[in-house]
Amino acid sequence: MSSSRFFATGSDSESETSSEEEQVQRQPATTFTFSDEEEETKRVVRSAKEKRYEDLTNIMKQIRNFKKIKDMSSMLTSFEDLMRAYTKALPVINKEEKGQTPRFYLRCLIEMEDFINDVWEDREGRKNMSKNNSKSLSSLRQKLRKYNKEFELDIAKFRENPDQAEDEEDEEKEGEGDSEPDDAKPSSFRKAGSESSATDSKIMKKPPEDEEGSEDSTDWGTDSESDTDSSDDETQYASVRERFLKRNTEKEEEEKKEKKEKNKERKEKERKQRKEEEEDGEGGWERVKGGIIPLEKPKMFAKDAEIDVNLVVKKLSEIIAARGKKRTDRREQIELLHELQSVAEAHHLGPAVAIKIKFAIVSAIFDYNPKVSDAMKPEFWAKLLDGISDTLDLLLSTPDIIIGEQILEENEVFDEPPYKVRGCVLTMVERLDEEFTKLLKECDPHSNEYVERLKDEKMVASIIDKVQEYLERQSLSAELCRIYLRKIEHLYYKFDPDVLKQKQGEIPSSAVTSVQVMEKLCKYIYAKDGTDRLRTRAILAHIYHHALHNNWFQARDLILMSHLQEAIQHSDPATQILYNRTMAHLGLCAFRHANIKDAHNCLVDLMMTGKVKELLAQGLLPQRQHERSKEQEKIEKQRQMPFHMHINLELLECVYLVSAMLIEIPYMAAHEFDARRRMISKTFYQQLRSSERQSLVGPPESMREHVVAASKAMRNGNWSACKNFIINEKMNAKVWDLFYEADKVREMLTHLIQEEALRTYLFTYSHVYDSISMPTLAQMFELEKPVVHSIISKMIINEELMASLDDPTQTVVMHRSEPSRLQSLALQLTDKVNNFVDSNERIFEMKQGNYFNRGGNQGGFRDRQNFIRQGQDWGRQRRDRGENRAF
Amino acid sequence: MLPVSIADMASARGSSRRVPDNESSIAYVQMDGLAVMKMIKHSHEESTGNMEVAQGALLGLVVENCLEITNCFPFPKHNDESMDEEEYQLAMMRRLRRVNVDHFHVGWYQSADVGNFLSLPLLESQYHYQTSIEESVVVIYDTQKSARGFLTVKAYRLTPQAIQMYKDNEFTPEALRNLKIGYESLFLEVPIVIKNSHLTNIMLSELADMIPEEEGTKFLDLGTASVLEGQLRCLMDRVDELNQEAIKFNRYQQQVIRQQQDKHRFLQKRSQENAARQAKDEPPLPEEDLNKLFRPIPVPQRLNPMIVSGQINTYSQHISQFCSQSLAKLYITQALQNAKEGKSAP
Repeated sequence: MSSSRFFATGSDSESETSSEEEQVQRQPATTFTFSDEEEETKRVVRSAKEKRYEDLTNIMKQIRNFKKIKDMSSMLTSFEDLMRAYTKALPVINKEEKGQTPRFYLRCLIEMEDFINDVWEDREGRKNMSKNNSKSLSSLRQKLRKYNKEFELDIAKFRENPDQAEDEEDEEKEGEGDSEPDDAKPSSFRKAGSESSATDSKIMKKPPEDEEGSEDSTDWGTDSESDTDSSDDETQYASVRERFLKRNTEKEEEEKKEKKEKNKERKEKERKQRKEEEEDGEGGWERVKGGIIPLEKPKMFAKDAEIDVNLVVKKLSEIIAARGKKRTDRREQIELLHELQSVAEAHHLGPAVAIKIKFAIVSAIFDYNPKVSDAMKPEFWAKLLDGISDTLDLLLSTPDIIIGEQILEENEVFDEPPYKVRGCVLTMVERLDEEFTKLLKECDPHSNEYVERLKDEKMVASIIDKVQEYLERQSLSAELCRIYLRKIEHLYYKFDPDVLKQKQGEIPSSAVTSVQVMEKLCKYIYAKDGTDRLRTRAILAHIYHHALHNNWFQARDLILMSHLQEAIQHSDPATQILYNRTMAHLGLCAFRHANIKDAHNCLVDLMMTGKVKELLAQGLLPQRQHERSKEQEKIEKQRQMPFHMHINLELLECVYLVSAMLIEIPYMAAHEFDARRRMISKTFYQQLRSSERQSLVGPPESMREHVVAASKAMRNGNWSACKNFIINEKMNAKVWDLFYEADKVREMLTHLIQEEALRTYLFTYSHVYDSISMPTLAQMFELEKPVVHSIISKMIINEELMASLDDPTQTVVMHRSEPSRLQSLALQLTDKVNNFVDSNERIFEMKQGNYFNRGGNQGGFRDRQNFIRQGQDWGRQRRDRGENRAF
Repeated sequence: MLPVSIADMASARGSSRRVPDNESSIAYVQMDGLAVMKMIKHSHEESTGNMEVAQGALLGLVVENCLEITNCFPFPKHNDESMDEEEYQLAMMRRLRRVNVDHFHVGWYQSADVGNFLSLPLLESQYHYQTSIEESVVVIYDTQKSARGFLTVKAYRLTPQAIQMYKDNEFTPEALRNLKIGYESLFLEVPIVIKNSHLTNIMLSELADMIPEEEGTKFLDLGTASVLEGQLRCLMDRVDELNQEAIKFNRYQQQVIRQQQDKHRFLQKRSQENAARQAKDEPPLPEEDLNKLFRPIPVPQRLNPMIVSGQINTYSQHISQFCSQSLAKLYITQALQNAKEGKSAP
């Protein structure tokens, strides 16, 4: 009956006006009814393929609207849009509908045709139309006719029985269920859930299948097949919705007269509704899906399908197949997988399937974030952690399962032990670790959030431990190396006070400390690793760890044995960063052990550039104009260390400057007039010079100023002032307290300052003495007499001090054999003149056209430019070479 | 100190009076004692105050081949913004004319330490002087040396080559070579004669008599170390500077050579291509402007190195002069010492 109704709009002899009215009201009502019901339901975004369908339905909606207002020109354009959208959607449709034209589309075409015929026949109305409109009308009519020819057959079919679904839906809608024309329909469609939707879709499919003429009827009769694609279902569903629309309109027609007032209300509601829809473009669509979601679960498997391993695996691969495609909704995927998991659990399909699904979930979560550089959202992170640790627990508890990348999909065994599952725990965990780092980098290191995140480190570490346990069971050395390295990377920068306690005998030597753990892990890697990279990283981490725990000799021996210094430039940036970090800690360790020269040497490369921050990957320097591109910056950002692994830069710099001071100041004093004096530490010189440039030097504030002030005091041999500048409350708070055993360091430092100040004093003032008594010196510098004696002896042996020791009187007798000021100046001048002669010669050579060996010359030549003093030796050598060349 | 210098002056007059004639319009400069004293006073005031260079104008007349400088006045310090310098000079000269002083502007003077007077600004201003007033000279007074007892007043004029060089405003090596100009031929020293009126001479002789005899023995003061050190340091700085210049020039040479090679390569390639095209009966490639492809590298200016070499030259001269004097003094003291010992021994 309703079908005839439908056609009545076109063919019946209802008055034009009424039909028009109908149409006006029809649309709102439909939308309303349709959206009304979903308001209560949850909304979930569905498969991305639906986009095409969405386009189509949107355009149809528009067309319907235009119909109502009889805007022919707009309708024409919409129609053209529709045709285009349809051709676009064709591949999808072909796939989904098995080559059939979707019914909702046909319906739209038919509707339009009818409508246009109507309008066309209404001559008076046509006359009244604007010129533009009538023109559009005629062209639309032609186009439509032409277009519809393509679908002639389908349309004919459709016209024959457009009703089935509608009828049934009608009933449901009205809740009366008066006339049930069809047989197998469970009436309560909305609540019914699973099978109703399945059957619905069957119905939808029916006509096309009819056409195909094969097994349609049987198909239709039985309940749904178990493996219907969810997306497939949805498509059907979309068309079901279309059905609703139609059916509702018809119902409206029926009830129109009685319910006019109601309609008005609805219209209002509908308008609101539509506004909402417009506001969140896709939201509208989501809602549609939302309406379906309760029906979703059952769709996964047919109601009474026998859920077995194969079925689940098949389903799983279906879901996974959608992964990575553009239109796939990733959130939905995760949820689907979860559902699948619960289904699998419910049916006790065995650990292999569970693991397989869990793997899929984990990778789906990884995939959720489309950008590699961004961190994932915390809620997903939590899910991920749980997911992975669950998986691992399961893995550990079921020993007869084999997981590997080498297992092909076909070879997987799910039903009986030994299970075989394709996948890699290791990659998963590595990925997890990287995500964790990203996550940490994402949040502000000074906020609570960071601390909260950092608490997950425990989880991550325990996961790594689990994986380690698992892999140890399998004992594949390459993989074990990798997981060990992961563990090492979580371990090496952490300070374990137990180590020092153990050294002091407070803890029995049998107790396992992190050093031992590191030792074990690293040794395994040294022995078994096949790739150089892992070994390099392991050794660096090992050195770092030793240095951190004051094991200076072990650390030094390791770094010397590894010969890393030579090859490190060729390694990847991450390793270079690790190398820099290791060197930094090695320097600190050397400093703690009073090996000032070593400390200086370790740190000099880092500090010289002034780019410590970058070298240690602890932050980007503010860049000067376009020094690096956006991509480069992104890459560099990815390399950054998370905050909790940072090395205190001020500490580093202070240690460096103090060591430089302890080396440089005596050296400067010793070589005051030496033309060949070279800078030991450029950075230190810079600090000194910048303070000298100041017209007024106030009391020191910053760490650097303290060191500079101390250096000045030391130059005069004033050790106590120097000590007070280096070790005071400010500096303690800033620097020294950061050491583990700060007092020891301070003590060591005081002693060193005394010694070096003594040396400086001797260098600076030896020329005013004929002899100095050693006891006086010892008193001045508060050093033990033997210490003074040994220092002076060393200086004499090294020919730094032209003097001899007079034992009976305990005095140092000066020899006065150093050149006078004038002499040294003259020497300096000769050097300079030599240099000048060199460059002059080079000019001359050039004129002669003698280009041999130019490369060699240039090297020395540039050196000299930067730093003339350093060039002295060069000049000599070069000139010798030049003379050789002459022959 | 002053009496000594005046005595020196007198001796200097005797020695440098007869100078061989130069081609230039001025054979010698004759300075009035008063002008010299005024200049010295101004220079010392400046140098003790803030170590700045003192500058002033010289007034006088040209008499045949002699430039007589009879008076002078200092220029105001540069930092005084409110006063217009030229106006000041003109007003000064006008007033001097009123008191019947020579008001012909014949040059300018500048104080200097040892030999550092040679500089770009000096060259430039002397060029301007000499182009506007043909006979003008620059008189350099060495404060430091004079303070040690050696009056050093020197008059310089730019050589015609130097003027030509400035006129061309080109300091490329070629231009300098064509002009045959070097640091030695930048300036021409004009001998200075200090002339005092008879009355002054009489007073000087009287003053000389009044100086106690012991005061005059200071001439054996060695004072070597500090002077020599200072001069050595300055010399080193200059050598460094010159070295930099040499390096700069060397780099330029290399660049030029590289460019030449590039050019050569390019031309070769082009000719090969053209030959190939000719074989295929195609039109040869259009000639491109080589200068556009290979922009000529700017030639480093040679003026600064020249000046620096000039400075080095003066420093070296000073040092060698100082050393020879010191050596002589040393020998004298040795002889005196020996004589004294010989006297006291028996």
